[in-house]
Amino acid sequence: MTGFMTLLQKEWKEQTRNFKVLWIPLVFIILGILEPVSNYYLPEIMKSVGNMPEGAEFLWPEFTGEEIFMSLLGQYQFIGILVIVLAFMGSISGERKTGTATLLYVRPISYRAYFLSKWIVLNGIVLASVWLGFLAAWYYISILFNSVNALEVFGFIATYSLWIMFVVTAVLAFSASFSTGIAATLSLLLTIGFQIVDSLIGEYWTISPWKLPFYATSVFNGNNDAAGLWWSVCITFIAVLVSIFAGVNMSKRNAAKTTV
Amino acid sequence: MSELADVPWNLILPLLVLQFILMIVALIDVIRNKRTNGPYIMWIFIITFGSLIGSIIYFVFGRKND
Repeated sequence: MTGFMTLLQKEWKEQTRNFKVLWIPLVFIILGILEPVSNYYLPEIMKSVGNMPEGAEFLWPEFTGEEIFMSLLGQYQFIGILVIVLAFMGSISGERKTGTATLLYVRPISYRAYFLSKWIVLNGIVLASVWLGFLAAWYYISILFNSVNALEVFGFIATYSLWIMFVVTAVLAFSASFSTGIAATLSLLLTIGFQIVDSLIGEYWTISPWKLPFYATSVFNGNNDAAGLWWSVCITFIAVLVSIFAGVNMSKRNAAKTTV
Repeated sequence: MSELADVPWNLILPLLVLQFILMIVALIDVIRNKRTNGPYIMWIFIITFGSLIGSIIYFVFGRKND
């Protein structure tokens, strides 16, 4: 682990300089506040801008706090993941392209330390953002709807965090393996594309990383398929480890592609 | 004016403040280093009028980091 702490500091400094440390949490928090507020005021918003005919009566569904958490998860599953992929697609391939990597690769660094320093900093930023977003949403939900059981919320966030970790690791490994454009395409395909596949024909299996967000929401429903959940957690952990291993090897193999 | 008073400001205000911070940070960044993809005046307009989405688009596509 040659210079692991130095690489960690370098990575942190880079993420503060390009403001990712600031804007990614802000985006997740804003989404987290927006969801309960807009759902709470939906009837009034529709009344003022929805062009409803005079005298039309429409019964609005009564949302519970748990349902708001689920719809927020839906937002994160699309906009959140899009933000994660677009923000971090170039974290290794971009360094190769701009030549920052030349400064690093001429030094006797270990690629394991190089990849892991990125992995830790990126996961730290993204997980903190997701947690802050859910906590902000929780606060607003407890004001506008009903207070949701803390234990359920933590179970929900913990399960979802593992999925987010899987996404970040996949993006990083793709970025180590390919150029930025290909990395972005493959990451979006793997995260958002496979989600659609899983929602279409996913009833034939119960174990996959893409099922984790579903298991996260099932904390609220109470219909717990414990075996399916734990197998998915195991599979996701293995997938994360394999991606880290592949990422380390690919960043070593692609070191020659660096622009000098 | 009564309509303005009806708005639940204590709920909406944190949201506006956060969006404002995001916008200001993006604007300061544009004006400070001016090295953007495309003319930086265009990015100032996108950030000012695009609110949340505008700032995100700037940070993702507008910044040129080298």
